[in-house]
This record gives sequence, structure tokens and C-alpha cells, in this order.
Amino acid sequence: MADERVIVVTGVAGYWGNRMVTRLLEQDDVHVIGIDDETPQVNVDGLDFIQADLRNPLLIELLRQEEVDTVVHLKFRETLAASESGFEQNVMGTAKLLGACGEAGVPRVILKSSTMVYGARPDNPMFMREDHPLNGSKKYGYVRDWIEIEKYADSFQEQNPDTLLAILRFGNIVGPKADTPMTRFLREEEAITLLGFDPMMQVIHEDDVVSALAHAVNGAEAYRGVFNVASEKGMPLWKMLGLATKLPIPILHPFAYWSVSLGGPRLAPLPLDYLRFPCMGDMTRMRDVLRFTPQYTPEETVREFSAQQRVRKLLGKKSRETFEQDRLRDTLERRKRVRERGGASKRARRKSHAE
Amino acid sequence: MGILNELDAMNHDGDLAPASLNGDERGDVAAETVAKTAKRTRKKAAAQKTTRQTARSKKRARAALREQFDAPPTLDELPDPQAELDANPELQKHNQQLGQELLHEIEMTIKRLMRLSPAYKTSLAVPADVQAVIGDNIEAVAASAGGVNILKRFQKLLPGEMIDTDTLKGMWTMLKFTGEYQVDVFKRRLKGDYDTDEWGMDQEFIDAIRPLLDFMYNKYWRVSMAGLENIPDDGRALLVSNHSGQLPFDGAMIGSGILQHHPASRMMRALYANWFPTLPFVSDLLTKTGQVMANDENAERLLAQDHLVAVFPEGYKGVGKLYKDRYHLARFGRGGFARIALKTKTPLIPVAVVGAEETYISLYKSQTMAKLIGFPYFPISPTFPLLGPLGLIPLPTKWYIDIGEPIRTDEYPDGSENNLMLISQLTDQTRDTVQNMINDRLRQRKSIFLG
Repeated sequence: MADERVIVVTGVAGYWGNRMVTRLLEQDDVHVIGIDDETPQVNVDGLDFIQADLRNPLLIELLRQEEVDTVVHLKFRETLAASESGFEQNVMGTAKLLGACGEAGVPRVILKSSTMVYGARPDNPMFMREDHPLNGSKKYGYVRDWIEIEKYADSFQEQNPDTLLAILRFGNIVGPKADTPMTRFLREEEAITLLGFDPMMQVIHEDDVVSALAHAVNGAEAYRGVFNVASEKGMPLWKMLGLATKLPIPILHPFAYWSVSLGGPRLAPLPLDYLRFPCMGDMTRMRDVLRFTPQYTPEETVREFSAQQRVRKLLGKKSRETFEQDRLRDTLERRKRVRERGGASKRARRKSHAE
Repeated sequence: MGILNELDAMNHDGDLAPASLNGDERGDVAAETVAKTAKRTRKKAAAQKTTRQTARSKKRARAALREQFDAPPTLDELPDPQAELDANPELQKHNQQLGQELLHEIEMTIKRLMRLSPAYKTSLAVPADVQAVIGDNIEAVAASAGGVNILKRFQKLLPGEMIDTDTLKGMWTMLKFTGEYQVDVFKRRLKGDYDTDEWGMDQEFIDAIRPLLDFMYNKYWRVSMAGLENIPDDGRALLVSNHSGQLPFDGAMIGSGILQHHPASRMMRALYANWFPTLPFVSDLLTKTGQVMANDENAERLLAQDHLVAVFPEGYKGVGKLYKDRYHLARFGRGGFARIALKTKTPLIPVAVVGAEETYISLYKSQTMAKLIGFPYFPISPTFPLLGPLGLIPLPTKWYIDIGEPIRTDEYPDGSENNLMLISQLTDQTRDTVQNMINDRLRQRKSIFLG
């Protein structure tokens, strides 16, 4: 099958790589090569797995020889404290991979980033456009690495105009299985908040993250540039905690900042600024250029997440039942929405493949 | 006790007692004297007073008080019969006799009445009686306390319905219902079951704090708003107002007034400076009431959504003004509001707030303190920081909010937002309009507190 598109997905041993590969393999017209320096825990049928480090100089040869069409870069290690090894793996790994893509002339590259790179600051616009300066906190390893990667990617795009680089900046990813800063925050025993602050938050469901990435891979036109991807409307932090059935524990903010500066980022999975000031992206480009719409509403996303929570057992039987009813209603409404929008459900997709 | 009860019952139920007491002046006085003796000998004698008697005894107490302070009596007051009585022992004796005769007569009348209607029963448990007992005792205490009128005021505050069991039951039900409702709302909100708009405005929160805003608007500052017809019922508009009063209450009052009195009851979105989001509770309060951080992106987005936006271009320079500089407008920023109005083709509506400048009297701005605690300015007033949080209570001045005629910006060609000359001209025009409106109002105003 010569007309098969060859897609390279990095970080297939991780959660995102695994989800992405599974999603792409549902399609018949692609050949998926997975790259990672460790073997995946879960075997995916049909995956062409190559064990390699991204910093390996022979990567150029691989990309050339396989005539790779698209690279989806999902290898990312979320380090809490800014560390040299994390920087080496995340930033230098991305830099080497991008360099190789440029050399080998790969037409499309897709990166996954986060809206946290804008930074939560008091003078932020409520909805930040993609060209807003990246002022994120450098104290947290993953935020710093994302910013460094984006800066590198920006200069890479200038030097290699032939390669179409799309960066998807996702809002706070929440989902039952994903492990992200926000889910770590919500999974903690206590939800530490700052007294008297209730910023607006944007969330996106893990399934929508995979859908958005697949959308960027499969789009008829190639996407170039940065896109914020999240549910358009935000919700207050306290509302989110309520939907996640957590009781917020407000702490006076100077004290909280002081303890984190003493105890290090381990004490707070999210940088405290993000619990104090809004950090939300403008979704105009996602809607008009990427033409992607998340399936889950923000409320559904958080409710879906909290369904898996251990804390839920502490609730009474009655409220648990209403909760389950709410969830099923969410699901039904979502399926109806998808059908109305004419989006390809899994069943429809399978049918069309059979034809 | 029996006679008194019956007497009392008569006072309430029949016209007999008032009629009998409506005789000549002397008889009246005699009845009162009798009542007084009865009060001394039997403890709860006060129950027999009629409303007329109460009024009269009040008058007497007032006169006694006046005598005490050697103030000359006014002409409209009658001479005190009690003093006259005290001076003349013969008259006293005569009066006592008269009173006893009267009492006897009344007693006989009651007996006659009881014989005529055997089913008739008297009781003290009628709410009005209990109130009368309480009221009279309060009065007695007040009189003995040398004219301390606080208790009398309490008596006035105590309407007759307060003692009624049904009223109390009703009140309890209402309170219980309100309590349960509040708990339900709280529980529901704790579960995250409430909605905000994309800027974080929370309608339930606004409804909860509106009584306070309305109180400040109607009762405390007695705001009078003029020119509401200049605000369109729908579509974008940019209110440009002067800023004053150390704390940004002026924005809250403009918004509250428009919400209360504008026919479309539009929600105003004020743009606030970037210092406020760093303050706990303040940031939360501003976001939940629909106010938005001031920057170009937010302003453009709000106007593109056809909101009613308010800006205070003076900023900290205006709000932190010294008392001696009051009503002299500071520089109107760098004209950012004019640029955005030109870009989005939004009419500028000048607003002048008069009265807010005097809510705090700032005598001096301490640079050192401001730097120390990270505030943009730190006012020193006669009460702040001397009295601590008490110094934060604003003065109840009379406010005027005047809304001027819109300055149109849609006649300028596209791309005018890059015309710096036009921007500065438009800025100056708006500033002059606001200053003129303030001057006009100041000329008409006679008093800071009464208007």
C-alpha cells in the first residue's frame, strides 16, 4: 500500500502516545510508527514500534527512509521541580526531533503544549490570544519546559517554513485516566485553594485532547501555527471543585506562597498563581481555523472525572444515585449532540470503512 | 384586682369609660389621681389607662422634665395639673373623694352590666392588653430613669402585632423557610450546581448582595441620577466617568443605579485596574459581580458582545485624589478608551459623579506606607488609619450622578484608531464634557450632605 500516510508518534509508552496510536490505528489509510526509549506497557496491535531515544542522530535517517508524512510529538516528562534531566529530555529531545524533521523534510509536525505557558498574572486579559507573550512561572519544571519548547519551535518555524508546525495548547486536561497537573490537583485528599480567590478555569476532557490531535493529523488542509484548545467557556475554580465533589480548603495566600517557597513545588501540584489569577485562552482560532469543537461541556468533563474518584464513596447513597443519573444524562446528551452535528461516531466510521 | 380588670375590659369593649371620663377637667384629673394611687397600692394598675390618658401622662412627663431643666414652657403646652394638685392639699382631698365616688360608680355599672350579660368574661390575655401593660411599664421605668428616652423608643418600635402568637408563628415559619432555602442554595452551590457567564459573572451572587447596594444607593448616599435616557436600551456603549473617593464605590453606584432605574435594567461592566485582582475577596467580588480587568483585549471583547462598559480613565490618580484637589479631573490616561471606542465604533457617554469626593477626606498621601504594603496610594484622613477599620466607613454625603449625551464615534472612517490626533482630541472633548457637568452640578449644590 504505497499511498498509506506514515505517521510517527513519539512517547508511545506514555498515556498520550498510547491513546493517540490507538486512535490513529482505527483508520485504514495510515501506517503508524511509534517511537519511545522505553517499551510500552500495553501492546497495541498493528503498531510499528521502534525503540529509540529522540536525541539519537540516526533519527534523521529513520524519518527519511520511512518517508514520514506527519510527526506527532507526545514524548513529555512532567517534572514538578525544574530539573536538568527533565530539561534534557523534554526540551533537548524536542529540539533534536524538530531538527531532524527539518533535515528530513517532514511536511507536518504537531506538538502538544498547554495554556499554562501564558502564565497566570493579574493583568492578563480574560481570554488570551495565541500571540500573547509567554509569561508562565519558571519555577515549575513542566511549565518551564513547555515554554522553552515553544520558544524553540517558534524559531524552528521561522527557519524551516516548509515544515508546517502546529502547536496545540490545551487548557486544563481533566479525565478519569489522564495524569495531568489539574487531575493531580483534583485527586489530592485536600483541595488547597487561596482564600478570597476564585479564578475562572478552562478544562478539556482527555478524549477531546486525543480527538483534537487526531483532527490536526487528519485535517484536509495542513494547520500551521498555535491553537488554544479547550472548552470555550470557563468555570470558577470553586464550581469545579464542587462538581468534583471536593471540599475546598482556603488558605491565606501569603502563607501558602511562603510554604511552597520553603517546601518546594511538591506541596502544590499546580503553581499557586494558577489558583489566584485567570489563565484562559481565546478559542477563536480553534473554532474558525482548526474547526474543532470539543464534545464534552466543561461540567460534563469534571463530572466524568469525579465519577472515578474514591472520595465519592464518602457521599450518601441518595446523592450518589442522583450523581449517576446526571452522568448518564450527560452521556445521552453528548451522543445526541454528536449526531446532530453530523460528526462521525465510531459506528458510522466503521460502516464507512467496511464500504 | 377584679375591679381593675373589669374597668380595663370596659375601656376596651365599651364606650362607657371614655364617656364617663370625658367630663370636666377636674373629674378627669381626679380619675387620674385615683389611677395613680391604685398603681402604687396594687402593682399592675397601669392596665386601666386609656389611650387618651397615656398621651396625657406623656405630656405631663415631658413638662416635668422641662421643669427639671428650668426651661420655660411653651404656649401650646397646658399648665401642669399635677403641680397645681400638689400645691393645694384641700383640692387633693376633694379629688380623692371624687375619685372614690367615681370608682364606686364604675364598679356598680360593671356589676349591673354583668347581671345583664352573665356570659361575659374578662381576661388579661388579649394581646393589646399585654402590650399596654408592657408599654406602660416601659414608660414608668423611662420616667423614673430621669427622662432617658431610649426605652420609649423601644415602645414605639413595638407594634401591636408583635405580641400576637400568629404573627410570631408566621415569622418563625418565614425565618425557617428562609434558613432552609439558604442552606439549600449553599449546598447546591457547594456541589457546583450554578452558572456563570464567560467573564465569571454570577447572577445569584449579585441577587444576594443587591439589597446592600440598594441600601447604599437609596438610603446612605441618596443618589439622584439624571440623564438615564442617554443610555441605549441595547447595543454597545462606553460610559466614561470621573473617579473619586479613595475606594471605588462610584462604579458600584453607577451600576446599581442603572440596574435599578434604567428601563432595560442593563448590567454595567466596569473595567478595574490591575491592582484589584491581587487582593483576596476583592478580586472574587469584582469577578462575581461581572466587572472585568481593564485591558484592550477585554474591552474590545466586551464591546463586541454589545455590553455596557464603564471606564474610569483617571485611574489611581483620580481615586486617590487629595481633598484639596477634589473635582479637578486628572489626566484621562493615554486615551486608550477613545482608541477602543473608535475601533469598535462605540458611542462615548460622559458620566459625572458628584458627592463621592467627600466620602473620605484625604489630607495626605503617604508614599512610604504605600510602598511598604504594596498599595498604589495610601491616604491619610482624619479618621484613617487613626481609627483603624472604623476609618474606612464612608461619610454619608449626598450624591449626584449625571449622564451626559453620547459622543458619537461611528462617523469617523475605518482605521481612525491609529489617528493619534483624533484620539487626543476625543479624549480632551470627553474630559471637558465631564468637567463641565461636574462644575454645573457643583454650582447648583448647596450642601455636601443634604444636596
